[in-house]
Amino acid sequence: MLTIDQVSKTFFPGTVNERKALVDVSLDMHEGDFVTVIGSNGAGKSTILNTIAGRIPQDHGQVLLAGREISKQKEHQRAARIGRVFQDPMAGTAPNLTIEENLALADRRGAFRGLARAVTRSKRDRFAEELKALELGLENRLKTKVGLLSGGQRQALSLLMATFSRPKVLLLDEHTAALDPQRAALVTRLTKQVVEGQGLTTLMVTHNMNQALEVGNRLIMMHEGRIILDATEAEKRNMTPEDLLHRFSQLKGAALDDKTMLQ
Amino acid sequence: MITAVELGLIYAIVALGVYLTFRVLNFPDLTVDGSFTTGAGTAGVLIVQGVNPFLATAAAFLAGAIAGLITGLLHTKGNINGLLAGILTMIGLYSINLRIMGASNVPLLGEDTLFTMMYGFVDRGIASIAVLIVVALLFKLVIDWYLHTDTGMALQATGDNELMIRSFAVSTDRQKIYGLMISNGLVAVAGALVAQYQGFVDIQMGIGLILVGLASVIVGQAIFGSRLVIQATFAVLLGAVLYRLAIQFALNAGLNPNDMKLLSALLVIAALLLPQWSGFRRLAKWRRGLGAGGGSAMLTAEGADAAAEAESTPAEEVVEEPAGAPAAEGSGGSAEPGGAGETGQTGQTGQKES
Repeated sequence: MLTIDQVSKTFFPGTVNERKALVDVSLDMHEGDFVTVIGSNGAGKSTILNTIAGRIPQDHGQVLLAGREISKQKEHQRAARIGRVFQDPMAGTAPNLTIEENLALADRRGAFRGLARAVTRSKRDRFAEELKALELGLENRLKTKVGLLSGGQRQALSLLMATFSRPKVLLLDEHTAALDPQRAALVTRLTKQVVEGQGLTTLMVTHNMNQALEVGNRLIMMHEGRIILDATEAEKRNMTPEDLLHRFSQLKGAALDDKTMLQ
Repeated sequence: MITAVELGLIYAIVALGVYLTFRVLNFPDLTVDGSFTTGAGTAGVLIVQGVNPFLATAAAFLAGAIAGLITGLLHTKGNINGLLAGILTMIGLYSINLRIMGASNVPLLGEDTLFTMMYGFVDRGIASIAVLIVVALLFKLVIDWYLHTDTGMALQATGDNELMIRSFAVSTDRQKIYGLMISNGLVAVAGALVAQYQGFVDIQMGIGLILVGLASVIVGQAIFGSRLVIQATFAVLLGAVLYRLAIQFALNAGLNPNDMKLLSALLVIAALLLPQWSGFRRLAKWRRGLGAGGGSAMLTAEGADAAAEAESTPAEEVVEEPAGAPAAEGSGGSAEPGGAGETGQTGQTGQKES
């Protein structure tokens, strides 16, 4: 479904600040794969997501989606088939538009946006139905501006919007990191529900070792722009967060931040 | 007085155009100073050549839209700062306008214009004002309708959260160009109407127009609120009429007409600074208190307006919100994100919020 073929990216090449974010990274994901990505700071986790999404152009290599080369496409063109949820709960929704208007925008992903009314009664009913699954009572607040929702509510809504039109690939960039533990657990539960429910091919970056082991059918560990561990579902099942931390401690120069330690 | 209201209703179309760029797209577009005269010149020259004034006014829309297209291309494809892109087009248009007009002044005396036609049917006064109200409302309704279509919603989201709407497969470049084209098209139509109203086209007539538009938008929305699109566009219409009445009042009071530009600038500065003044915030809070306590249509309308203010002002304002908010999570939770969102977005957000 998604193939990353020997992708490299160096920031500020030829300067003292040169940083190799990705070094010949290759990854092959099958349809329905749910891959979690962990790694120390600066390991290239976010860069790989941004390269797939088209926010950062790679220096070398190719990205293929469903067999088609997408490396040359612009961010918004790729977005027709790629859903994203960002770390910042504010990033995935339009604060001055209402919940139903945000959903209507998400609903037209990849479709032509013409002069038809954005929110119709039948759409509104469908949106309310979908929102019920979040169990946040948002289905009764369709006309509330999204800017008035809490971070957790907005992130749950972002997740629903990102998966609304069944993208080929879902990219999750530490989407629970900015939430308190309770909301993070809620969003993690919803993520599992929607990804497994729709069989979405998903790549999830996380700081949280438990989360990385708990969800998904494959785990990748990155360090200094390379994939240093690729665990299958069976291998992953026998792993503990301690195992992962041990792997990290063996790496030279792998600086784990406090947040990772605590989780 | 009649002239002030009539002109106010014509300039309401300018205000709607400026609303689209300044508020919806969050893009301060200075092209309008040039495209207003472009519209006036295009329509004026066509009318002198005997073209039907309706067609001439429609042609003005096209000419304005082309001006908007140029600013849009400079900004999106050329990566030129939005303000600078607008200024470049505006300056360039000055020469183009002279080319279109052939002289710095084109008189329309004795020609058939939309206004000579209108005054043939209705008397000047209440009747002519009623016709212009209908025209202004028609433009408002078209904008309301457009902003609620699929493409209009993408336009709104482009001004609200670019990163988000791009991740839903919308080309923000294209939306900005659409917005600038419609906005400048409207401004050019207003230019064509003003020229027909006053009976001549003048190369200078667009100078300082952006301030007229901004004053109408800012003053109108400060008084009448902007929570919903239909409310915001209505506020913009009323703002334009109020602005014209204020100018009329200042002239009647014996002020020098040459000072009017300075007065417009001061009015916009006041409208931008006042909401930052703590006394004004207390006033807004007091109004909100009334809105919650009372419940008459008027008061709740103001309450809604105040709620919109609370939502767009940074954290401290939201924290002060009385505990009437839906849930603890609703008020406390949204306070922090509100602030974070502001810093997360582009630097221009601050301008939009004020």
